[in-house]
Amino acid sequence: MLIKIIFAFVATVAFGKLFYAPQKDLWPSGIVGAVGFGVYIYFMEVLGYSSMLSNFMGTVALATLSEFFARQYKEPVTVFSVPGFIPLVPGLPLYRAMNLIILNDYLKGLSVFVDACLDAMAIALGILLVSGLAKVYKTSKTIIKEKRQEAGE
Amino acid sequence: MASVEIMAMTKEEVLEIALTAGKLLLCNGAETYRVEDTMLRICALKGMTTVSAFCTPSVILLSDESLRGFSRMYRVTNRTVDLTVLSEINDFSFNLNKSHKNYAEIMSFLNERLNKPSRRAYVDVLCSAVAGGCFAVVLGGGSNEFMAAFLGSLLSMAFLKKLAAFRPSSFWSTTMAGAIICAVTLGFQHLITTTSMELTTAGALMPYLPGMAFTNGLRDYIAGDLISGNSRVGEAVFLVGGLVIGIATVLGIFYH
Repeated sequence: MLIKIIFAFVATVAFGKLFYAPQKDLWPSGIVGAVGFGVYIYFMEVLGYSSMLSNFMGTVALATLSEFFARQYKEPVTVFSVPGFIPLVPGLPLYRAMNLIILNDYLKGLSVFVDACLDAMAIALGILLVSGLAKVYKTSKTIIKEKRQEAGE
Repeated sequence: MASVEIMAMTKEEVLEIALTAGKLLLCNGAETYRVEDTMLRICALKGMTTVSAFCTPSVILLSDESLRGFSRMYRVTNRTVDLTVLSEINDFSFNLNKSHKNYAEIMSFLNERLNKPSRRAYVDVLCSAVAGGCFAVVLGGGSNEFMAAFLGSLLSMAFLKKLAAFRPSSFWSTTMAGAIICAVTLGFQHLITTTSMELTTAGALMPYLPGMAFTNGLRDYIAGDLISGNSRVGEAVFLVGGLVIGIATVLGIFYH
């Protein structure tokens, strides 16, 4: 499991480089990827949750961390979140589904495909939830600031 | 002091700066709401508040709302991903008034980003090879799978970089990438029979999955840009389809 997390870290850094991420943000984005994958695999293999829920938790963890890093390093969130969530993308179920369908096992293939789609949707929900919350946080901060200014005047 | 310099820039120049910054952002893979926000921020910092911006993944419109106002439009045809440019333009737009640059200096800064020479291809090839190999291990493979996926990603990316001069469509190139990955994996499995076919292929195809389009589409939805969200998520589905068709063709020939 630890080996997998380390390789997820390296893969995320390689992805950051592939997407031309700034040099100083490569290591933080690697951490984001490793944390997201670590949470996913912890929920999946240690706690025994379903793949969909583990994906969701992993995405929430990595999206929160990348929002945090984005404020810390004053960069767009995309710099961290895009390479970071790649280890969670359900490439393996997608391949399995296609392979089963080629072998004329449509029933099994479709059920694996639906699994892959659910995983992708769980990731999407995680991203939507966290970036929605981040937006609420940002607006609430500006509202507080405006109120303070009004009180000051 | 600062206000004098703000006045020194005409409306046309401000619009030119804002449009160029938006162009850079959109061509290098920013979400559309970020492009709109940045253009409006630049205009507001330079004293133009009655400006509207509209942006989709393929077009940018920037217009003064007044009756005789200027209007600019730019059609985006090819998009890549360069996160460094995104973060530079982000910094630039927030610090526009603090840096006290005049129009010529700002435009030379932006044009330098616009004409940025692309990096040497072998870096991309090596990165995608490392990423592909590592993903094979992440999915549960051993050293055999690492080697095979490394080789698969390396060869397919090298092939795509060779072909990049012909400007192939993204759908076509991902299909080719899928086919090459599958062929390399089959060849490797022929040499070392214990290699797991599914772990290797799934690992090697990871660099081609459209993660950027997918996340950007979702973030566009959250920002309320439904058209952009639809088209980005559609692009992601389309590219995955291309990849799957490429792999399925080679596998189908092999199983036949």
